[in-house]
Amino acid sequence: MSARLGDNVARVAVAALIVLALAFLIVPLLVTTLMAFDARSYLGPLPPPALSLRWFVNCFSQDTFAAGLRVSIALAVLAAAISSFAGAGAAVALDGAAFPGRGLLLGLFLSPLVVPAVVTGFALLLALSQVGISNGFIRLLFGHVIITLPYTVRATLASLAGRDKRLVEAALVLGATEAQAFRTVTLPLIRTGLVTGAIFAFAVSLDDVAVSTFLTDPTTYTLPVALVSAMRANFDLTIAAAAVLLMALTALLIFVLDRAVGFDRLIGQGMFRT
Amino acid sequence: MANRVELQAVTKRFGNVVAVDGVSFAIADGETVALLGPSGCGKTTILRLIAGFESPEAGALRIAGEDMTRRRPYERNVGLLFQHYALFPHMTVAENVAYGLRHRGFPKADIPARVAEMLALVKLPALAARHPGQLSGGQQQRVALARALATRPGVVLLDEPLSALDAKLRQELRAEVKDVLAAVGSTAIVVTHDQEEAMSLGERVFIMSHGRIVQQGTPDDIYAKPETRFVAEFMGRSNWFSGTLAAATQFRTDDGLLLDVAPHATDGAGHSLCLRPESIDVLPDGAEPGPNRLQGRVVEVVLLGAARQITVELAGGRRLLALQANRAAAPPARGEPVAVTFAASACILIPDEPA
Repeated sequence: MSARLGDNVARVAVAALIVLALAFLIVPLLVTTLMAFDARSYLGPLPPPALSLRWFVNCFSQDTFAAGLRVSIALAVLAAAISSFAGAGAAVALDGAAFPGRGLLLGLFLSPLVVPAVVTGFALLLALSQVGISNGFIRLLFGHVIITLPYTVRATLASLAGRDKRLVEAALVLGATEAQAFRTVTLPLIRTGLVTGAIFAFAVSLDDVAVSTFLTDPTTYTLPVALVSAMRANFDLTIAAAAVLLMALTALLIFVLDRAVGFDRLIGQGMFRT
Repeated sequence: MANRVELQAVTKRFGNVVAVDGVSFAIADGETVALLGPSGCGKTTILRLIAGFESPEAGALRIAGEDMTRRRPYERNVGLLFQHYALFPHMTVAENVAYGLRHRGFPKADIPARVAEMLALVKLPALAARHPGQLSGGQQQRVALARALATRPGVVLLDEPLSALDAKLRQELRAEVKDVLAAVGSTAIVVTHDQEEAMSLGERVFIMSHGRIVQQGTPDDIYAKPETRFVAEFMGRSNWFSGTLAAATQFRTDDGLLLDVAPHATDGAGHSLCLRPESIDVLPDGAEPGPNRLQGRVVEVVLLGAARQITVELAGGRRLLALQANRAAAPPARGEPVAVTFAASACILIPDEPA
């Protein structure tokens, strides 16, 4: 086999892998979307013989879904805001100085990524009930801030690492105090990282089931938790409709983000805006 | 003239490494000094100490007579030109130049005029509204220079100011930086590892090695009278002979050559003889023998443009490097037998350091 043939085989293999990966990513979404518009009242084979909006109507007419969506959005907005402030602050502190225990502290901030969500949820439930916090929304907010913190810390750290540290020195030597240098130089340069972190935090919060399951109370629950329990009770395509709505919300988010900071910057290494 | 910048026995350590080892110097008002040395010699640390980014473990630092040892960078009136410009990428050229003016309490109404004046000084008046990313390297460095000088700092620090530029641009900009510094009459300290840059910008040159200043003087002085082999090698290329002084004006090399030198005190100690390539004349063979005339054969001729670099192999196998202005009608060819000569006064004797 010639070297050239080998190269061609490799190229075809890579292309095939990409197509396969895309298929796995997209096909389930397409199926879900199609089923959400299915007019049948039972789960039948594809394609649906007729289309309707009945599942969407059903989705909006169920109080649990509407209530869940309200809680989910309020929670995601609040959690993203708190997590952004706390995470960015922590990242700036961690980036600025070398002190003993810095690595440990960073690990602690990122630990929710590796600690099983079940453990985080259960531990938080126990700890909060010990200090007498039993309000479901407050409990959920604690949980969501904790699980979104790694994203805001990481996004800010990445943008801080990408910036030129001499710019702050340039500002200082030109007469700016540390606080002025941070406000006029560092902050504008890490803006992309802050926005990215906030968006990720919002998405992670909106999406969470595992931690939230432990922290809900009978009257306060998120949309994903409501969807899961609805699915257990009676499996119908209302969930597909809710999923399509969630997807639409995400797509809208990405569109806004692309307009605001540019999607390539968001997912590539371009955290540092020049 | 008053001293603008004064260091007294300043020492700075990083862990176990002594970056600056008890350095003292004084720089007069309006003077330009070049700190020259290889990387890691402590020259950049001295610059950072003066700017206030580092603080010394021992010693004192005064700017315009005022003790600055523990002041924060923004409490000192210092301008700094960074090697990689360090322009604020999210601000326009005009905003960059105005940054120091705004933070140093310059009257707000006068800022636009001062910015325009500075941009005119560095010959970039048309680019005020651009962002740094839209400028070439040379333009960026000019903007950085305008920014550093806008606030009329008491001392301007230049950190390898031209090393990020390509060779041709570097020469152009070097002359321009020199003109601009002269125009504003500022005291300046240039940190560089490039001896040409040091000699062309600095009225005085401080040679640094291992955290100390090993020699200081005018560029001419240091080039002509290096006190150590390190300084001689750092200031330019040279041919080396080791040996001893046989008499006040005679040097015997270890391989048996007898060379005439300028009068020196003979103390019997070992010396090295340094001969700059441009001091050596390459003549056609056949002329009568004389002092400091050695026979050899051309092994290589390299055209450098303005000059020709000729490598001559002597009878004993030793090779000498000679530099000849590119004016000779017929330069010696490779393989040609030649004679090399040099003046006794061109021989620089440097005592060997005790091992």
